[in-house]
Amino acid sequence: MLYTSYEADQAMVNTTTKRVALFLFVVFLVAIPLFREGAIGGGDNPTGSLPGPSFLAEGDWLRLLATVLIFAIGGLGLNILTGLAGQVSLGHAFFMGLGAYVAAVFGMPGGGLWGLGLPIWIWLPLAGLIPAIIGVLVAPTAVRVRGLYLAIVTLGLVFIGEYLWRNLDFITGGSQSGRSHPPFEFRLWKEEEPLISFAEDGTWFGILNLDSTGKTYLFLLVLTVLFIVFAKNLQRTRVGRAFMSIRDRDIAAEVMGVNEFKYKTLAFAISSFFAGVSGALLASFVGRSIPETWILFLSVQFIAIVLIGGAGTVSGTLMGSAFVILLPRIIRDVTGWMQDVVDAGDSFLASIFDFVVSTDQADFGLVNTAPGVAPGLGIDQLNLVIYGLLIIGFLIFEPLGLYGIWLRIRNYWKGWPFTY
Amino acid sequence: MKIKSKWLSIFLVLGLVLAACGGDGEGTTTTAGSGDETTTTEDMGEDTTTTEGEMMEIATDVGVDLEAGTITVGLLSDLTGPFGPLVTAIVAGHNAYWTQVNATGGINGLTVNLETVDTVYDVTNHVQFYEELKGEVVAFGHSTGSPHTVAINSDLQADGILAIPLTWYSGWTDPAINSNLLPHGTPYCIEAMNNIEYMVGLSGLESPTIAIASIPGDYGLDSAEGALLAADALGLEVVYNGVGKVIPNDETTYDEVAAGIVGSDADLVFYTATPGAFSAVYGRAIAAGFTAMWSGASPSWNPAFVAEDSAIREAIARDFVGSSYYEPWDGESAGAANVREVMTAAGAPATDYYGEGFIEASILHQVLQAAYDSGDMTQAGVLAAAKTLTSVEFDGLGPTEVYTGEPNDIVQRSQWMTRPSLESETGTMIVESNYTSDIAAAYEFTGACYVLEG
Repeated sequence: MLYTSYEADQAMVNTTTKRVALFLFVVFLVAIPLFREGAIGGGDNPTGSLPGPSFLAEGDWLRLLATVLIFAIGGLGLNILTGLAGQVSLGHAFFMGLGAYVAAVFGMPGGGLWGLGLPIWIWLPLAGLIPAIIGVLVAPTAVRVRGLYLAIVTLGLVFIGEYLWRNLDFITGGSQSGRSHPPFEFRLWKEEEPLISFAEDGTWFGILNLDSTGKTYLFLLVLTVLFIVFAKNLQRTRVGRAFMSIRDRDIAAEVMGVNEFKYKTLAFAISSFFAGVSGALLASFVGRSIPETWILFLSVQFIAIVLIGGAGTVSGTLMGSAFVILLPRIIRDVTGWMQDVVDAGDSFLASIFDFVVSTDQADFGLVNTAPGVAPGLGIDQLNLVIYGLLIIGFLIFEPLGLYGIWLRIRNYWKGWPFTY
Repeated sequence: MKIKSKWLSIFLVLGLVLAACGGDGEGTTTTAGSGDETTTTEDMGEDTTTTEGEMMEIATDVGVDLEAGTITVGLLSDLTGPFGPLVTAIVAGHNAYWTQVNATGGINGLTVNLETVDTVYDVTNHVQFYEELKGEVVAFGHSTGSPHTVAINSDLQADGILAIPLTWYSGWTDPAINSNLLPHGTPYCIEAMNNIEYMVGLSGLESPTIAIASIPGDYGLDSAEGALLAADALGLEVVYNGVGKVIPNDETTYDEVAAGIVGSDADLVFYTATPGAFSAVYGRAIAAGFTAMWSGASPSWNPAFVAEDSAIREAIARDFVGSSYYEPWDGESAGAANVREVMTAAGAPATDYYGEGFIEASILHQVLQAAYDSGDMTQAGVLAAAKTLTSVEFDGLGPTEVYTGEPNDIVQRSQWMTRPSLESETGTMIVESNYTSDIAAAYEFTGACYVLEG
């Protein structure tokens, strides 16, 4: 690539191919809710839709995609902290829980539990700001240590969080009971009727029919794009370069004049902001949370997202998020398909799949479709096993993760047919 | 370094314009008949198909396929989480019931198939699976967990789908929230009253002292609330209050509560928890030389307590008073005999929990039959049929469930009392059937004993 200007060199999307591809991809993402039959057209019984894979617009897949976006926001935060600044953190679940409960306290009307009933343009930013401030408060402890010790310190945060959420039951609703979280509605102040509500179906411009999941998905898409642009831009700013120098060799960076304490604190603050917003969005999207939602496993999921996707890269984090969230569903669908092949009758494939899938106590298999009864791993357990294997595998063989794999594919085809 | 803000701002403005211009559907309430319909993404409109050999026309939308002759019912279960063994047995009971019904023609020739998913007792999974299944099933045979059922309750109401909650939380009797639910069985707080009065009678003491403890959450706190009400009604002195203090898997809370119970020197202990937390505290108490009569809500018990290799087997057989919302395995009623016959034929081990599956399936059977008879087997039709139910009987397997009337009149107050048995296959023996204590009978039931906040 020959760059003839500084702007061209620093551009976030630097080639025409990338720009076109990005544009088409964004158009596709925006159009997904419109693939559903009946999405376009006025009147009582609309039947129009955009051409495209309509299964994506079904409620359950659209929910999964919305969850991917929510986890992408959180993942971007962890990517800035771990991938860019090199600070290992297992405390993401704590900041997510904190953001969710801040949102609940500010956004839900009061009653048995604390709540102020303020509109979304207050509770959503606060759900990011307050965890960011707590992140700044935590940082002095964290910046003194690195590596394994930092991981333990942040792990402690998760357990402190678990204790707090269980005991502050006037905020969280208490262990196993939980509380509701504010829905996605826009009000100017505390009016009765919201200006816009993403919790109900509606029609835009008279011809676009979207259900509540579709509207929520688009809202989350806009938010995610904001965060992606912020994260991507961060890499090429002074702050981003400071983070990378700390990641590479923090003592050398300090010697060169990069204020380690300041930038590590900033990294924690930014990461906690992202985590808080992500936690608030997740809790509001599901509608209800219990203190047991914000456990260590959630932090591990984010570590998996960042490591599997490719630490330090934004597109890697997005790929990792999609992978981690869609994996259980894909495993379930594939297992279901294998089961159908077995049921359909004798064929070579059927006999292999019969070995792999078990359906009841008498049937041997590696994966079972009747959890608790049949032998073999359940789908959730298989998930955990796959996460673990993938993290280990990627770290050993492809440290750049899915992004690294994409790079290899891209480079192979760049020089095709003269690749070597 | 400035971001090329032109494209970003155009995108953002577009996004905000779209959001602002979007009108909302008319009918922001969820009542039927409002301007905007299609609350399910899979609504393909109503098909009216004539079944073969039948003169009736049956309306269907989701979950009922008249061509293939199948009805699909969803089960949102916890199969590998904290209540895994219990719910797995319940699901086995469901499966066995419908296998039996399908073998004798199903519902007017339609076979009922179950779509079971494992939520691992996680609220996010529960909601996700609900979204996946609502486009495939006509109703939900059970929904495990109170906060989980509460999380999908507003969606159930918006989508017009029926679900049977698999929790005995007393709040389900509240007409304000149970429009799409069919609760059944004695609620936890009434069960506590029954258990405590029975214990007092068994102990033969004039005014025994009682220690009350529980895990947090709707299950523990609802049960403990009932225990406190019972102690008040019977004039028992509560010498230790550990309500909500036991955290499952947190050993320090086990130590603390066990020490509290032992130190209080109570005659009776009412402790509701998961089986693991129950045996942990009980084990510590008897190791300290403490003896008393113990009881708790039904899910606190696990047959493993009296297994051959269990350290507490003799002690707990001496001390424990158990309960069940339906007739256990060894029962004498026709319903229990049917459960034994069907499950033994299916090769399943003897355990008390299949009955719950049979009860849920019986209720659903009656609803589906009523829906078929009315000619409307859409999701909304099944829900409407559920609301026409007056009562359901179980051949003695459980107390008759009544669905019309004031909560105070129809709430279930009777149950079975059991004691552990070292000889029986299931680990328990029935000591009292269809038992209702005086305080439970007299209790003025006005709403949830423990209110699930938020």
